[in-house]
Amino acid sequence: MIRYLITRLASMVVMIVLATLVVFLISHLVPADPILAQLGDMQAANPAMVAAYRARWGLDLPIWQQYFIFLEGLVQGNFGISISTQRPVLDDILQYAPATIELSTIAFLLSVIVGVPLGVIAAVKRDSWIDHLARLLSLVGVSAPTFWLAFVVLALFYGGLQIAPGPGRLDVIYLPPPFVTGLYLVDSALAGQWDVFRNAAAHLVLPSTVLAATTLGLITRTTRAAMLEALGQDYVRVGRAKGLKERTIIVRHALPNALIPVVTLGGLAYAVLLSGTVLTETIFSWPGLGRYTFRSAVSLDFPAIMGITFLVAVVYLVINLIVDLSYALLDPRVVRQ
Amino acid sequence: MPGLRNFAREKSGRSALRMLVGGLVVAAFAAMAPAQAQEKQVLVLGVDISDARNFDPARMADYSSPITNGAVYDSLVTQKPGEYETVVPSLATAWERLDDGKRLRFTLRDDVMFWDGSPLTAEDVKFSLDRLLNVKDQPAVYASNLEKTEVVDAHTVDLYIKNPSEPIMINLAAPAFAIYSKAMTEAQGGVSTPGAEQEDSATQWLNQNSAGTGPYHMVQWERNAQIMLQKNPNYWGGEVPFERVVIRHIGDSAAQLLALENGDIDAAFNLTTEQLATLEDSADIDIARGLSLDYVYMTLTSGAELNEALAKTENRLAVAHAIDYDGIIEHLMGGNAVRPVNFLPIGVGGSTEELLEQIGYKEDLDKARELLAQAGNPDGFTFQLSYANAAIVGTSYQLLAQKIQSDLARVGITAELNPMDQVQLRTQYTGGETQSVITFWNPPSPEPQLWASASIERVAKRVRWDVPQEVRDVVAAAGAEQDPAKRIELYTEYTQMLQDQGNYILLFQPIYRIATSQAIEDFDLTAAGWQVQMGDIKPAQ
Repeated sequence: MIRYLITRLASMVVMIVLATLVVFLISHLVPADPILAQLGDMQAANPAMVAAYRARWGLDLPIWQQYFIFLEGLVQGNFGISISTQRPVLDDILQYAPATIELSTIAFLLSVIVGVPLGVIAAVKRDSWIDHLARLLSLVGVSAPTFWLAFVVLALFYGGLQIAPGPGRLDVIYLPPPFVTGLYLVDSALAGQWDVFRNAAAHLVLPSTVLAATTLGLITRTTRAAMLEALGQDYVRVGRAKGLKERTIIVRHALPNALIPVVTLGGLAYAVLLSGTVLTETIFSWPGLGRYTFRSAVSLDFPAIMGITFLVAVVYLVINLIVDLSYALLDPRVVRQ
Repeated sequence: MPGLRNFAREKSGRSALRMLVGGLVVAAFAAMAPAQAQEKQVLVLGVDISDARNFDPARMADYSSPITNGAVYDSLVTQKPGEYETVVPSLATAWERLDDGKRLRFTLRDDVMFWDGSPLTAEDVKFSLDRLLNVKDQPAVYASNLEKTEVVDAHTVDLYIKNPSEPIMINLAAPAFAIYSKAMTEAQGGVSTPGAEQEDSATQWLNQNSAGTGPYHMVQWERNAQIMLQKNPNYWGGEVPFERVVIRHIGDSAAQLLALENGDIDAAFNLTTEQLATLEDSADIDIARGLSLDYVYMTLTSGAELNEALAKTENRLAVAHAIDYDGIIEHLMGGNAVRPVNFLPIGVGGSTEELLEQIGYKEDLDKARELLAQAGNPDGFTFQLSYANAAIVGTSYQLLAQKIQSDLARVGITAELNPMDQVQLRTQYTGGETQSVITFWNPPSPEPQLWASASIERVAKRVRWDVPQEVRDVVAAAGAEQDPAKRIELYTEYTQMLQDQGNYILLFQPIYRIATSQAIEDFDLTAAGWQVQMGDIKPAQ
């Protein structure tokens, strides 16, 4: 097990370096001048200012040297300074990440808490109305474009019915809670600011539901399929023959066996949620990483692009590792192999 | 949980609807709201502020940040909305030209305090302008004609000008020339002496706070979320109408519209033409209008290496006469735009709609065909029209390009559409590699010389126009001319020269529209650089 972990961690380091190298090369191959994303028209026509900017951001160096500077900084835990915000990239990421983590975690929990039971029930009561309902929900969730769904729920619950709060993480009248984690729910609870907590929670309802819609569909369908397969297995028949309660058969015997594909998918879904919230964040004016990533990409802000690439690579690899390790818990055979 | 958002909100409307849909909790809170509803104390603006990179006056170079800086800082002089040819007193009450314009002497008001209560003196002016020069960030290029500053006495300061024939007064009204407190800024690491580009470390503080004399002062900037301003208790211009101003980031225009309709924001800055059209007849929402000094224009290259046909002046003029300008303004802008003759927008340098009548390009297909025949291309020609994949002032470049493509097809000219990424487009365009582009111009200050010199210097290079000396002479003479009537004559002469050349085709100059709630009034837009006269906005009476 320890050896397995060490191999995995070592391969993770290689994967991360490769991922950053690929993104570095692609972003530098774009036939556009990053200076022109930063400087105004008069400034960009001023050779002294352009030269000063290039020198300041190291853009006058050969590409390979720029990459090694990035790697060197990375080893020291330094992502460099963002060209756009002129702040350390790490500060930017630390500022925007909590909003995205809070939103995607709630969305993920929502899709698991609803999706797994829904999938189980759909499998157990196959072809019943609840199965059809689950199918319909999954279909809508998976196929409705996020930007469309986001706008529809906003227009309906905020604009029309006026029972949900509008864009942003908090209403204007509330100040963010004292910074501990950056997660408003956690920070406001720690500070005992329950009015802020309620407001932050209310603001999470719509965007997290929209985000959850896609993953909910996937998780429901996968759970259903895996449960159907598990329920057809011999050990289930044996259990029934022994006179075990149907509930015990489903929860104790079939479900754990059905969970392996669900955990794989769930892990990936969480990584997708963490790194792919740009549309939802735009429509709900959510100050998270998605928006930051988008702006960094279109303005060719290389240090920021590299910092985010590193982060996304780490998120995917760590989640994959957790998924693989959790197999051992779910299926003892994995350890024995 | 929902419905709590209305707790302590100033507005009380729509409580009946909330009771129906939101249940008892909502009703209870809605009922509490009127008790706190007497005077509106917080102004909330919905703006896309995702472009904002910083608020340090010596470094700021973005589109949305001057909205904030215009409200927290004053400059020596300022401009009234709609009157962009002249400056009026602000922190300075009077100024005079000494030594043939090599020195400008400003007399400061003696009753101005910064928001922290300390008095404004000539030292603060010197500090602010020196810091602008020595930090050497983007705004410094607007001050390239400023040599140095000198304190004469506590309320008099001299500005030394390098080249008196280059105008500077209008630039001084721009947000880059904001005056801020030397003491407050130095306490945060501000440096104004040579070497400031390395040593100055006040930007971080100036991004969260302000050190100015404006009606409000900044207390918070949460990136991509909101900017919070507090009333300046020591404002020299009288009582400030609101306790607080919140500039709320709402990036999506549809979400801005919903927030305005729900009463969560008092003004929506980034609505599209279609959204504004739905509000035209609304009884609850007003639309503030202001002619901008921005415009959308099209270029045609003179470079035969890029396109042989376009290199012929007659062919460029044929394009100019084949465009349905009124159709663009009517259908794509909903009538909310005007059209300047050439590079000077309407409102500066004598550019007017009358002048457009006299010397502007007009849609005239026969003339276009005639010009094509003269050029030896009676059956038309083909060129590549590049533009960014982006929205622009409530419409999109894509729609504009398609419209122009179909207009030109009427005389046999084929425009091949070439949409591309914004930065890529800018790289090709500034490198002089494009045959034709549609793009946007947004001035740093309403000084006509800024447009005129750009059109014969850096932009001329982009269209590969080898500018004759006589054109340069006219522009230089206009910049140096002190007599307003003669100056306008010279700028008109220059404009005619651009018209004959046919490298630039001005498509439209938008009238900016901001939808506002009826809870506020005196919402005046300005094109001087800070979008809105924030200090004038009041709660509705």
